[in-house]
Amino acid sequence: MAQLGKGKLNYRCPSCFMRDLDIDMFYNKDTGIYSCIRCQYRGTEKEVLEFNELVRIRYGAMHKRFDKFDFD
Amino acid sequence: MSGGVDMGEGKDYNHNRATDCATAVARVRDQLTDRDKEQFMDKFILNVIHRPEMVPEYSATVTGQGKEEDIGDKVLIGESLDIFKTQQRLAHENGLKVTIQMTYASLFNDEAVEIAKHDHDEFGDEIALSLLGLPCEQFREKYKTKDFCIWMFSMEDKKKIVRDVFGKFRERFGFYPESTGSYYMDADLINFIKAEYPMVKCAVATCWEEGPKAYHTCNNSWYTLFDGGPWAPWIPSKQNTHAPAANREEDSGIVAIPHLSRDLIACYDGNGSNFGTHPQNVLRGMIYDTKTWEFPYLYNLIDQYRDLEKYNNGYAYNMMFVGPGWMNKAGRWEQPYELLYKSYSDGCKYYGDLKKQGKLIDMTMSEFADHYREKKGVNGGNYNEPECALWRDILYGSDKQLFWYCDPYMRACVNMDQGGAIVDLRPYAAKLEWPVGIGTKHVQDASYPFLIQEKYRAGYFTHYAGAGTVRSAKLKYKGEEVDLCLTPTHAHFSEEEINGKKNRIITLDPVTIEFRDLTLKLQTKEYFEEGSSNIRIERNILEMSDPSAEVIIDEYMTACYGTTEYPEDMTGITLKAVGDSTESIDYEYRCRDAKVENVKEVSATIPAIETFVSMTTDAAAAGYIEEGYAFSPMFKLGITKKISDKEVFSTWLNLAKAN
Repeated sequence: MAQLGKGKLNYRCPSCFMRDLDIDMFYNKDTGIYSCIRCQYRGTEKEVLEFNELVRIRYGAMHKRFDKFDFD
Repeated sequence: MSGGVDMGEGKDYNHNRATDCATAVARVRDQLTDRDKEQFMDKFILNVIHRPEMVPEYSATVTGQGKEEDIGDKVLIGESLDIFKTQQRLAHENGLKVTIQMTYASLFNDEAVEIAKHDHDEFGDEIALSLLGLPCEQFREKYKTKDFCIWMFSMEDKKKIVRDVFGKFRERFGFYPESTGSYYMDADLINFIKAEYPMVKCAVATCWEEGPKAYHTCNNSWYTLFDGGPWAPWIPSKQNTHAPAANREEDSGIVAIPHLSRDLIACYDGNGSNFGTHPQNVLRGMIYDTKTWEFPYLYNLIDQYRDLEKYNNGYAYNMMFVGPGWMNKAGRWEQPYELLYKSYSDGCKYYGDLKKQGKLIDMTMSEFADHYREKKGVNGGNYNEPECALWRDILYGSDKQLFWYCDPYMRACVNMDQGGAIVDLRPYAAKLEWPVGIGTKHVQDASYPFLIQEKYRAGYFTHYAGAGTVRSAKLKYKGEEVDLCLTPTHAHFSEEEINGKKNRIITLDPVTIEFRDLTLKLQTKEYFEEGSSNIRIERNILEMSDPSAEVIIDEYMTACYGTTEYPEDMTGITLKAVGDSTESIDYEYRCRDAKVENVKEVSATIPAIETFVSMTTDAAAAGYIEEGYAFSPMFKLGITKKISDKEVFSTWLNLAKAN
């Protein structure tokens, strides 16, 4: 198998991110697959980006602009 | 050259310090309009800090991956300086002045020094000195180590490095700096700096809640454990940086500011490095729209900090400090350089626009130190004005709300989503001396210990058996039991003078408790009396479906001590109940308990953190103490009483230093 390196951007493992872990993934230029060296996640760039959108689900108010910060 | 104070060899500093303070205040005021002068004491204050870091953090592990380490890499140094210049330009374009924290490495770089001098003259930037950014060829050669966190060196090395770095600074600029900082500054380090360089009046001294959660997020490779400190500026005590000074004798002589202003819910619950006034941290948290590159969360965060002036006599504060490693041309994680740049540019613009609208005053660190001492009443001798924050969720879409309180005697977090339970408690009253660094018992762990911490020691909910740390109450009626942790509500803040003492009060919206045969409405009020080291919790029975019913209320505190997720040895703790009789338990994990009638006090003495905690009441009630066991290494203090309709029942939680 080919030696792993870095891709064009330094993607983190989306699966680990969901459990509050920032782990860089490494890239196999022969297969186009990013893989996590801590957990079992692997995916193409497209799959990583799609997973990253899922990660954002927990931020239910991410797009909201607040103008009131109390409950008075 | 001005911007600092030439102290010669550091002599006659008392006179110079007083003169210097007055000069700095005058300098700020001279730059204000008349309208601003009227409102000078009621504004949102901003500190923007930049550091020219010749070898940015992450350069080896992120951008330099796959390359052999070269700490003197000229290309890397050039890029780092370019980032610093970009940051300076963005701040100045938006009318913001900056505190330039020169790093040791940058003091060897003529261009970095010239930029600092120029921007001081042109924009009024303060030239300060950071104890971050030590790594460079000169440092490695001299100290023969890859350590770079000043608080983790031995005390002997701390002294050597401080003298070296401050000396080098004076050599380059002709004066000593008034501001310094690092991610953390332990008390011994601050005391040493203040003794040697008394003109230092401000320091970045902690990152809020950067403890086990940050360590975990970095795959257990980020050895910065300093939970338990203030989230907003404070005056560190000489004994412990995290614990604010209670009086002039304890005053370390500096005003400390936190590294970033952080989300008081998101950072308490998760990784601190995603939720602060650091635009690229927000990107790190993936809190932006990938199509539009917009991130309203950052502005919500800034605006919520602005809103805190309601709870702090018209004072609110923000700090933005982005190291150059976060604006790397190669991008950072998922974010390309263009997005990193946009985020910093937008962040500066948001602050700059607030300034143009007259809603913000930008200060340098040393200017802020003078302002803070005046605003908080310290110059008048009052060290007890607390910092308060009634904070709501602005990210996850819930309506959860916390109240954070910090004064020289405690830091407490009240969770309205759990009926006003205290879910985090740091007993600053103990002013625990806790040396850190090589050669001490705490090489890395600089956290101030907790008595209660719901994330590290459960809280209301535990798995299978045992109890978690929390200060709450249970209501019992005909065999049924309801814990107020299960009654989510919201709170409102007020200030009131009671018996001649200022109280900060949170009044919770009433909650309804439903038993099989009885419904009652209860309201909780929590009183934080200024300078008292106690919290009064008042329960008010507003109505009962059966006005003749009697309900038992059990006010309790389950606690332990620690700084991390893992249990500590509880032996040595003594529990005591004093009432009609006196009962005592020396902790041996034997699950014992004791009860007294007509309780005067139930207490725990915890020698390991030199802390005495007690609960008291002014009502006729019973008190109890409970020892834990190996699977549940806690202790419990409680006061119980029968209460009926319209009755008000108060208990106090008291903190003191254990002798």
